Amino acid sequence: MEPTPRTSSQPAAWAPLFVIVLSAVSCSSPKEAAKAPPPAGPVGTPIEIPVPLGLPPVAAPANNKPTVETVALGKKLYYDTKLSADDTVSCASCHGPAHGFTDGSPVSTGVGGKQGGRSAPTVLNAAYSPVQFWDGRAASLEEQAGGPIANPIEMNLPHEAAVRKLNADGEYPKLFEKAFGPGPATIEKVQMAIASFERTVISGNSPFDRYQFGGDKKALSPAAARGLAIFKDAAKGNCVKCHTIDDKYALFSDGKFHNLGVGMNAEGELADLGRYTQTKVEADKGAFRTPTLRNIAQTAPYMHDGSAKTLRRVVDFYVGGGNSNPQLDKDIKKLELSGREREDLVAFLESLTGEIPKEVLSQ
Amino acid sequence: MKRLPFVFVTLVFSGCNSAPKPEKAKVPVSTTAPKVEYFHVDAATAGAVHGRVSFAGKKPVRKKIDVSEDPMCAKMHAAGLYDESVVVNPNGTLANVFVYVKQGLEGKTFEPSKEPVVIDQKGCRFAPRVFGIQTGQPLNVVNSDPVTHNIHPLAQVNRAWNQSQDPQTEPLKRRFLQREVMIRVKCNIHSWMRAWIGAVEHPYFAVSAQPDGSFELPNLPPGDYTIEAWHEVYGVQEQKITVKPSGKEDVSFTFKGE
Repeated sequence: MEPTPRTSSQPAAWAPLFVIVLSAVSCSSPKEAAKAPPPAGPVGTPIEIPVPLGLPPVAAPANNKPTVETVALGKKLYYDTKLSADDTVSCASCHGPAHGFTDGSPVSTGVGGKQGGRSAPTVLNAAYSPVQFWDGRAASLEEQAGGPIANPIEMNLPHEAAVRKLNADGEYPKLFEKAFGPGPATIEKVQMAIASFERTVISGNSPFDRYQFGGDKKALSPAAARGLAIFKDAAKGNCVKCHTIDDKYALFSDGKFHNLGVGMNAEGELADLGRYTQTKVEADKGAFRTPTLRNIAQTAPYMHDGSAKTLRRVVDFYVGGGNSNPQLDKDIKKLELSGREREDLVAFLESLTGEIPKEVLSQ
Repeated sequence: MKRLPFVFVTLVFSGCNSAPKPEKAKVPVSTTAPKVEYFHVDAATAGAVHGRVSFAGKKPVRKKIDVSEDPMCAKMHAAGLYDESVVVNPNGTLANVFVYVKQGLEGKTFEPSKEPVVIDQKGCRFAPRVFGIQTGQPLNVVNSDPVTHNIHPLAQVNRAWNQSQDPQTEPLKRRFLQREVMIRVKCNIHSWMRAWIGAVEHPYFAVSAQPDGSFELPNLPPGDYTIEAWHEVYGVQEQKITVKPSGKEDVSFTFKGE
């Protein structure tokens, strides 16, 4: 299950690709400076994140363009268990490279063995998602990064305590100064650094990308190529309706929320109301954010509650037409697929395992 | 500005006026909640209907089912899986006929059994294929197979629903609230899987047995009844009978094949 990044067609390191654009982008404009308090911002060497085949450029907020220093600091924080109350859990504990930046469990285990009700979504290509979390409750990676640190069932470390811990550390203060200029670590800087690192955790150049965007018609096996056709065919799988493929790139997610009826309790009621918990809109009951399908073969089990153990079971679930409930998405219908077509779809999904830059893996 | 407090006062008052209404409404609701008088059968006079379903004509050849949709199902049936829409017993009787009291129990309300009826998804078949359930009685859906199944009762009178079920998951619990004879059940994932559910508002239903085609409707109060027998291929038949106090009535049906 360890993702082995193949770098044959990509530069071995990004360093040569770093585009130095200097102050114009990262320095706050006079208008911004007039505001109080001045927002934290990176001060180091800006970088352009190299984008593999099949992905669009990575966007970042104007006040947090990635730099060598913020990405490095974010990586250290991401893999550091110091961000948890008892030094046992890091971001990578639940979003680790060994499982396609998830944890291989139906639901994750936080500090003190506590468990939640949702499965850890992959961090891979989260940079492209318009909102974060299964229910979309964070509008940015920055906002998302603060959540699990303080969540009592995850890392259980209140933000003030986290910052105190980092400022008392032997290494972090100078890394924060390098990344954000003079001044102590703040939770805002922690979130910005982690978000910048996460923007580099991307996966593309999969066999599918080489077939679809690279003109290599041998990149997919015949079964996977048939699976791709079924995936796209509105009368067959119609998977692209939500797991999108665009002309020049494929994110495999519309970034929206859909109800499949996953997670019904024994009585036939939705156990988790998903997007509704944020919007209180009736139609959002039981709807969850469409996940990317990148590296899906590495991120079992599937669905927001980790209820589907294998890709075949996921395909069978869709063939069955989901689980009926009042808010079932109108596009979820019984699929007419033969046994071979179902296997072809699985073969296609397995072709979505792409290259992950080796720089994002722990040392 | 001066009018503002006045407005507030009226708002508060109207709030006070409306507030007790639901309180008042609550009281009658709880006291006048419909109390159902369940009918109790007098054991001293209760009778029974029993009988058997015969099959006449040529025993149809059972067709082999294409199970290629799921390699796991194919593996479970290396020797082939055969269609079970007509099951003729070795003694010439017909199994899987749903027999129930169609008429004669009007005005009597029977307490739904609390004992769940279980339908299993086993060997990529529904088991049992044909069964009855009392309206309001729990139905537990079990998946004993190593594959994902789907149960989709195509109810017309009751609410139709559709649910997939992974292996080793807890039973789904459902109920049917209206009489419906029969509800066709399919699996959206395995197109050959079929079951039929007869939902009736009393406990007088049975399915002709394998291997002898017999059925029994015990503990039936004396009276005049219409008994209906339903088969998924051969349709329905009915007979009128009178059950005398403590009487044991014999009713037999014969379905004809091609």
